[in-house]
Amino acid sequence: MDYINLVILGCAVVTFIPRLIPALFVDKLNFPPKAEKFLNLIPYTALAALICPGVLTVDNQLWYIGLIGAVVAAGLAWKKVPLGAIVILTVVILIAVYSIVPFF
Amino acid sequence: MSRKARFVDGCRKGIPITFGYVPMGIGYAAIAIKAGFTPLQTISMSFLVYAGAGQIIAASMVLSGAAAMAIILTNFVVNLRYFVMSICVLNQIDDSNTPLNILAAHVTVDESFAMFSLSEDSSIWTYLGISITSWLSWCLGAAIGVFLLDLLPVIVTNSFNISLYALFVAILIPAIKENKQIAILVLITAILNVVLGQFLGNWSLIVSTLLGATVGMYIVDDEYILGGDA
Repeated sequence: MDYINLVILGCAVVTFIPRLIPALFVDKLNFPPKAEKFLNLIPYTALAALICPGVLTVDNQLWYIGLIGAVVAAGLAWKKVPLGAIVILTVVILIAVYSIVPFF
Repeated sequence: MSRKARFVDGCRKGIPITFGYVPMGIGYAAIAIKAGFTPLQTISMSFLVYAGAGQIIAASMVLSGAAAMAIILTNFVVNLRYFVMSICVLNQIDDSNTPLNILAAHVTVDESFAMFSLSEDSSIWTYLGISITSWLSWCLGAAIGVFLLDLLPVIVTNSFNISLYALFVAILIPAIKENKQIAILVLITAILNVVLGQFLGNWSLIVSTLLGATVGMYIVDDEYILGGDA
């Protein structure tokens, strides 16, 4: 099979299986409160691990680009700017930052 | 609320996610096309795999000529977190059946999971609304990217790479602001992931997510974390 097709199908299968297994069994499970608490904490820890240190690799050459973006997004979220507007404003500000980087 | 009303409500809640997914999908398409994917392969991967970071890593590895098995194994490790997220989401849902669960499982990603988990909703229809809107916007981003890539300057496609992180940060900040224990937990998990990354490489994402939640069992009050949903 073509190399890229093999990569796409292989990735599709190994990504779907972990998602699928809970769908087949979760109805039969009844979690005790301690497990509920553990599961409810996952969104916070997953987001923390996804952001740090990945955000510093947004630009492979300039690590601070991602940091600036994260600080801008955090500041806007702190001021309760709507989610969609935060994304657009962060991208726009990064384009502005990229435009002035060559001058330093 | 009827099923349809819940689904439409979910779609509406998913709109902010599309603001991040369309530009990020364009960014992914830029890498995929550079790696030698055809337009059809680029869009199919978004539809079939539907994993932001996983797809970008896979396309980058194709670009550097890695073996197919190495790419597939890396994707498995990087996307193993969806197992945990899928359990969380389905555990919160109270009106589903197996076929709907299977559809929901395929469209479970970081943002739809985080948005739904941190809300009071418990309907599969709301979740499908959020998730399918996000999924289609990710595919739409890839499609736009394939056709418009040559027209966009590099600084614009580079800037698009921040959009997923902007979503992550924006979803997390309200909880940090509201609860100091969550803020400390987020900080601890971030440090854990940086340290473990030195030893575990790609495994550190899932390991620090689970270790962080274990730490949270001790430092976050039950009332806060179990308050919303029964």
